[in-house]
Amino acid sequence: MNMKYILSLLLHLPPSLRERRRYLRFEVICEREIDKRELLKEIWDSLYALYGDVGASESKVWLIEYHKSEDANSGGGILRCAHDKVDEVRASLACIHSVNDAQIGIRVIKISGTIKGATLLRRQ
Amino acid sequence: MLKYFDLNVHAYPETDTPVEELLSVAKRYGYAGIAITNHDNIVGEDLASNYIFTGVEIKANSVSDLKRKINLHWGKVSLLAVHGGNDKINRAAVENPKVDILAHPCGEKGEGELNHVLVRYAAENGVAIDFNMNSIIHSRRGERARTLGKMREILKLVRKYNTPMILTSHAHTTYDLRAPREMIALAALFGMPKEEATSALCDIPRGVLEKRWKKERDVEII
Repeated sequence: MNMKYILSLLLHLPPSLRERRRYLRFEVICEREIDKRELLKEIWDSLYALYGDVGASESKVWLIEYHKSEDANSGGGILRCAHDKVDEVRASLACIHSVNDAQIGIRVIKISGTIKGATLLRRQ
Repeated sequence: MLKYFDLNVHAYPETDTPVEELLSVAKRYGYAGIAITNHDNIVGEDLASNYIFTGVEIKANSVSDLKRKINLHWGKVSLLAVHGGNDKINRAAVENPKVDILAHPCGEKGEGELNHVLVRYAAENGVAIDFNMNSIIHSRRGERARTLGKMREILKLVRKYNTPMILTSHAHTTYDLRAPREMIALAALFGMPKEEATSALCDIPRGVLEKRWKKERDVEII
């Protein structure tokens, strides 16, 4: 057995103990360009406001990626959360109405168990 | 394929957003139709189609004012809503079979009340009770807690008397619109399960437009 394999067994959680996650692909429409930091702060604020510290810690939200589109009035990205907290996270995303006084609206387009699945979109 | 409806949307001239813009966003979000209900003002008559329904939301200061405005608009629009929030206005609205929707009965900031008597009247007269998502989205802390509490109470009464209920966005801009799945997730905040919320977005709004809960004598005159 090589060293690398043994290390990987020690360093990574076995699959049965890993947390189950969901990846939400979302779409943003906004008045002006929003950057990642502003959006992330607003997502956390909304989550805290709705579910408090305990609920926010249980939902394990993480912003995987966020990109602005060319026309500055929309954007999109992928958000990670715990697999049983999808509806709660969706509600807290829906509660976001503005970022630093710029109005925005967020919609979840797709939910997947893998990043790859959330990235791929059905052919229109 | 479910058909979702949003029966309380405000557009230009009351707000800065034209009807076309709202419609394009609503279509992208998966709505089968929206109703433009500006306060005391009918718009979109020329745009009326399978997607847009003309409506009006009556804002009245007193009961006599409300009655006058109901008679003025009745028969001219496919949807007659009343701007709720005041206890007297709420009562007058649910007692009137000409009214289709009582919009935000607990007020935009959770100040109004509905009791079991009013909800029963609403069931008898076919007035749909509206749960306004905009007030959940735009308020925080105490105000939102109060609104959610009121909605929970009303939901209990509505279930008891089998009153039609609908979920609306009460949107003033395209940014206020929320996709149907988001609306269902927001409805879960005040204890409405998924199936109930889905029918409050699909079946019941359609029934309201078809006047399903109105007695025949009320519809004949239209």
